[in-house]
Amino acid sequence: MNQPKKKVGVFSITCDEGCSIYLIEIFNKKLVGWLEKMEIKYFLSMKDKVEIKDFDIVLIEGVISSERDLREVIKIRENTKILIAMGTCAMTAFPSGQRNNFNAEQLERIQPKLKEFSYLPKCLALKDAVTVDDNIPGCPIDEKKFIEVFEKHLNA
Amino acid sequence: MHTCDLNVSINKLSKIEGHADLDVVIKDGKVVDVDLRVMENLRFFEEAVKGQSALAVPTLVSRICGTCSIAHLTACTEAVEKTLGIKITEQTSVLRKLTMHSLMIRDHALHLYFFVAPDLFGVDSALDIPEEHKELIHQALHVKEAGNNLSTLVAGRSVHATYEMVGGFSHVPEKEKIAPTIEELRSIRPMVLDLCEIFYKCDWELKRKTNFVALVTDDFSYLEGKIKSTTGAVIEEKNYWDHLHKVIIPYSQASGFEFEGEEFMVGSLARLNLNKDAMHADTKRDAAKYLAVFPSDNIYHNNLAQAVEILHSIDHSIELLQKYDFKKEEIVKPTVMDGEGVGVIEAPRGTLYYWLGVNGGKVRYANLIIPTAQNLVNMREDVRQAVTNLCALDDDRTVLENKIRKEMEKMIRAYDPCMSCASHFLKINWK
Repeated sequence: MNQPKKKVGVFSITCDEGCSIYLIEIFNKKLVGWLEKMEIKYFLSMKDKVEIKDFDIVLIEGVISSERDLREVIKIRENTKILIAMGTCAMTAFPSGQRNNFNAEQLERIQPKLKEFSYLPKCLALKDAVTVDDNIPGCPIDEKKFIEVFEKHLNA
Repeated sequence: MHTCDLNVSINKLSKIEGHADLDVVIKDGKVVDVDLRVMENLRFFEEAVKGQSALAVPTLVSRICGTCSIAHLTACTEAVEKTLGIKITEQTSVLRKLTMHSLMIRDHALHLYFFVAPDLFGVDSALDIPEEHKELIHQALHVKEAGNNLSTLVAGRSVHATYEMVGGFSHVPEKEKIAPTIEELRSIRPMVLDLCEIFYKCDWELKRKTNFVALVTDDFSYLEGKIKSTTGAVIEEKNYWDHLHKVIIPYSQASGFEFEGEEFMVGSLARLNLNKDAMHADTKRDAAKYLAVFPSDNIYHNNLAQAVEILHSIDHSIELLQKYDFKKEEIVKPTVMDGEGVGVIEAPRGTLYYWLGVNGGKVRYANLIIPTAQNLVNMREDVRQAVTNLCALDDDRTVLENKIRKEMEKMIRAYDPCMSCASHFLKINWK
C-alpha cells in the first residue's frame, strides 16, 4: 500500500539562504524521485506562504537573531513531527550569528539597530531554543549528507 | 475610474530572494503611499569585516548572499586586488569570466523557471505547472544543473565557491571534464532558446520612462569596463560612488539609491539596453529576434533579457573552454599592504560595488552598494504606476484588491530582487 506523502516545509530565518539555494541545486537530480514521497507545503523560494501547521518534516536554515525569528521557530516546532537543522548556521549559530563574537566597541555601534528591530541579545542556534531531531552540516549543506539525512526521514 | 479608499498589505512576498513586505495605500482612487520594506534581519557585515585580513574578507562577504555568493566573492576579490597592487594573469581573468557565466546561468534560470514561470501558467509553484507544460520543469533542472556543473568545474562549487581567491585560482579545471562540460552546455542551448521564445511572446507590460545604468564591458563578461547610463553618463568604476546618493526608506532594513538625482534601474534589462552589441556572435545570430526588442522601457522585458543572457553566458563559456589550455599557476602576491581600492562587477541583478580601505593588510573599512538597493526607488515608482493603472479600470473593489495583490508580486518579481543582499549597506567608518 502506498504511504501518504510526507508534508515538508523549508524555512529560512536570519541567514544568506545559501542552504535553500543549494537545496534547489540538489533538486536538479533528486526532485522528481522525492516528489513521489513528499509534498512541499512551505518553501517561500518556490511557492506562496501557507499556514504553519501539520508538517511531517521541516528543514530550517539560519540563526535565531530576533524575537520574530524565535516566535516563528517555536511555532514551527509545535507543528512538525521532525525538525532538522539545515546547515552550519542552524546548528551552531555561525557564520550568520557573527555578532556574538563582536567586541564591546562593535556591540555598542550596532546597539541602536538591535533595539529598533527587536533583536535578541545573542544569536541562537536552533538547539538553544527548541528540540532538534537531526542535523545537516555544511556552509552550504553538504550534498551527500543532506540526501542521507533527508531520505532517512522521508522513507521512515 | 475608482474613487475608493483601499489599503493592501502583502506580508512576505514569495518567490523572491529574501524577505520583503509591501503596503499600498489608495485614497479616493489615488495611490498616496507605497511602502516596500526589506525585512531581512541584519547580520552586521560592516562590523564583522573590520580588522580582518584583507585576503580573507572576500570569503567572509560571500556569505552576504547564498544566491549571488559568487558575485560578492568576485567583486570583493577585485577590490582587494586593486587595493594591494595585484595584477592578475590572463588565465585568472578567463577563469573569473567563466565563474561569472556559471553564476548567470544558474541564477537567471532559478529566477525564470522557478519564480516567474508559475505566473505564466497562473499557478502558485513550479511544481504545479500543468501536465502539458511539465517538460519546462525538466528543462529547468537541466539548465540549472549545467550552470551548477560549470561552477563546480571552475570555482569548486556553486554556493560559496572555494577555488577563487585574491590573486588567482587555487585549482584549474580538470582537463578530462572540459569536453563533457562543453557538451552539456551545448545540450541546454535549445532549451534556453525555448525560454527566450516564451518571454518574447509573453504580453506582460509596464512601461515607464526611467534611467538604466550598467557596467559596460567589451565582451559582455560582467567584469571590467566603464559604467554607462541611458542618459549618456560614462563613469570610471572607481568614481561610481560619487554619482549615487542614498534614499532612506522608513521602517525598512535597507536604503534605496538615486543616480545623479533620479531613480534608475540596474540589472539584465539595463545591460541589454546599453550593451547588447557586445554579446557573443552565436547569441547575436540565434537570438536576433529577441535582441531586436532592446532597448525597452517595459520592466517585464527584464525576464527576456535574463533568458538572452543565459544564452550568451553559455556561448561565451563554450568559446573560453575551447580556447584556453589551463595550467596550474602561482597565486599573485600583494605588492603593498596599505591603501584603498574599488571593485565593480555586474552581478546577476546589476552593478555591484565594493570600496575597501586596508591598513597593514587588515580591512579598515568596507563600503558596498547592492544592485537591489539601487533598484528599490525605481521599484516603488513602478508599483505606484502599476496600481494607478489598475485603479483606472472599472473593477469592483474585491477584484481590484485581488488584481493589486497578484500584479504587484508579479511586477516586483520581474526585478528579481534579492532582499538578503539589499539589507547590507556597509557604512564608512573613517576611524
